[in-house]
Amino acid sequence: MKKRLGFMLTLVLAFSMLLSACSGGGSSNSEGGSADSGKITLSYWTLFTGGDGENMDALIAEFNKTHPNIEIKNTKLEWAEYYTKLITAVGNGNGPDIGISHTSRLPDLIEQGVVTELDSVADAAGIEWSTYNQNLLNATVVDGKHYAIPIDTHPFIMYYNKKLLQDAGLLGEDGKPVLEQSAEGFVTFLSTLKEKLPANITPFAFESKDHDPFRLWWSLYTQLGGNDIISDDLSKVQLDEAKATQAAQYMQDLYSNGFIKKNDPDFYKTFQSGAGAIMMTGVWATGTWESTNGLEFGAMPIPKIFDQEAAWGDSHTIILPVTKDEDAAKREAAITFADWIADNGQIWAKAGHIPSKPSAIEKQEFKDMDYRSDYVSVADTVKFSKPSTKNWQIRDLAVMKYLNEVWAGKMQPADAVANMQPEIQKVLDQ
Amino acid sequence: MQALIFLLPFLFIYVLFTIWPMIKGVEMSFYKWTLIRKIEYVGLQNYANMLQDSAFWSSVWHSFLFVVLTTPTMIVLAIILALVANRKSRLQKFYRSVFFLPSVLSVAVASYLGLFIFQPYTGLLNSLLHLIGLLPGNEEIFWLSETSLAWIAITLLTLWWTVGFNFILYLSAMQDIPEDIYEAARLDGASDSQIFWQITLPMLGGITRTITMLQIIASFKVFVQIYIMTGGGPLDSTRPVIQYIWQIGFRQNDLGYAAALSYMLFAILLVLSAFQYWLNNRKGE
Repeated sequence: MKKRLGFMLTLVLAFSMLLSACSGGGSSNSEGGSADSGKITLSYWTLFTGGDGENMDALIAEFNKTHPNIEIKNTKLEWAEYYTKLITAVGNGNGPDIGISHTSRLPDLIEQGVVTELDSVADAAGIEWSTYNQNLLNATVVDGKHYAIPIDTHPFIMYYNKKLLQDAGLLGEDGKPVLEQSAEGFVTFLSTLKEKLPANITPFAFESKDHDPFRLWWSLYTQLGGNDIISDDLSKVQLDEAKATQAAQYMQDLYSNGFIKKNDPDFYKTFQSGAGAIMMTGVWATGTWESTNGLEFGAMPIPKIFDQEAAWGDSHTIILPVTKDEDAAKREAAITFADWIADNGQIWAKAGHIPSKPSAIEKQEFKDMDYRSDYVSVADTVKFSKPSTKNWQIRDLAVMKYLNEVWAGKMQPADAVANMQPEIQKVLDQ
Repeated sequence: MQALIFLLPFLFIYVLFTIWPMIKGVEMSFYKWTLIRKIEYVGLQNYANMLQDSAFWSSVWHSFLFVVLTTPTMIVLAIILALVANRKSRLQKFYRSVFFLPSVLSVAVASYLGLFIFQPYTGLLNSLLHLIGLLPGNEEIFWLSETSLAWIAITLLTLWWTVGFNFILYLSAMQDIPEDIYEAARLDGASDSQIFWQITLPMLGGITRTITMLQIIASFKVFVQIYIMTGGGPLDSTRPVIQYIWQIGFRQNDLGYAAALSYMLFAILLVLSAFQYWLNNRKGE
């Protein structure tokens, strides 16, 4: 019996060596190929689907055509599993040469040792950091080092249905809503819509839980002067209770006054089908509304409801993940690609995003597109979260959970704010 | 010895993908371990944290609640359906296929159908209630946003989706009951209900014990239908233990702690199975 066991172990060992030999062979092959022809092949992992995915494909095709020495190969991964796959693959040494990260997720990737810092390779490739929108760029700088190339920002904005606003007498001569930028002004605007429009029209098409209400809450909280919900050293919860409660109370009233259809299963559809007068979400919806027949809509920054202009926002950035060989030529090619994508932000903007380079915004091609120029100013007032490694966990596990109860009318805003703080601290302590 | 050669291919896969990860998991549970790498040895810290972790124990309770809600209802429903399909009738074949059909759906498909049935405004159930006038036109029932209603929705969906398998087991067990016992009973003048309570039900005892055991273990592993239909909400009040373990491991990036929680769940299931095994053997004597 012992002999058999030994035999089996040998088999197992032999098989596993075979496996590792295979994978080793695979990667050395491709590297060899690139060295022979003098052409650099770079693997690129993205999380873009739909319109975003098509625009990125178009950009890659254009880049490959105009850069004969570099070839970018795109692998599209599922949004929900993207980060898990990226982190594990890089951990195994099988990660891509180029990847995508949200600005808010970047600190986590830095801490886990997934991304490399870019200063030396950016110098070598001659990247001009000053050509980027500084508000977006600064959010990707951690401890004075650059870790990512922002290619856009996708802030939280407001869309409105022109026909419905016209019916309610709230559309000005210039095609923009007649809306006083204040807390009372916005409520008056919504009450007028509710009064003047038929009962089956929702004044404010909006989600009743999770992300978009969180984004509005974050926007209002920062409009009041709130500065994130954690301390500057990222170790403690630091929530301005009064401001957080005021923002939550303001929103709870919007729900309880019937401006928002309760538990709407699909508020995008409500707006798209012309059953909602206004709606708020990220700029990525612009492309969808444009391709909807018969929807006459407009876009604008969310109103300044409180003291200062501010909005929730995030950016897509291009990162260079840690690789086994850290090949300098490959890295230079990769950052050249990233900078080129940012330069051609007018193509990327087709889905609705705001380009990260002012020069892309100045291009005629960008100006010729409708709607984008109406909200492009938001890029300067986006309030990013602080560079905590726990941003997503805090949002998903502590904040949204309690805010959802507020929107449902089951919890007082002050109680929710009080309850979420120990949970945020728990996430930070882990 | 010859058998070993035939067993070897499966054994190899089994060891590589089941036994080895199980051993590795024990090691993991003693470490702080992220998706990328081992960080540091923490001894029994993960297990100590678990005892303090109220979120874990409430999620264990939710899974337990799901077992309590689904197991008895599942058995009763499966017996009723099997009785209906076992009656001599022209619709016999129709019943059999209709009752079994939902079981062929994958869990994701079944859960999305569940969403369409229970969602407000456009969902099948609320529209139906509006149609027959049980629900006033301007009111909505939020099946998936109220804790108790959410449990009802999840239980109904699970029953509809999985009862078919148990139904088949009961049906075949019923057909194994010898016809002459029924004949003798009828000659003695037994009524239909007497026949059911005195003959059919006792003869199904063995299969009922098997189904109960399988059902308890299957129900304890519930995750996907709840995740899709309610996401564990509202306020984590329907979050089952598997979802919690998954969140800890893959959302909070703490595989070590997730491994420790998994072994706790393993221990709970082991105790349950052992108890049931003991119960069955005692009855068998």
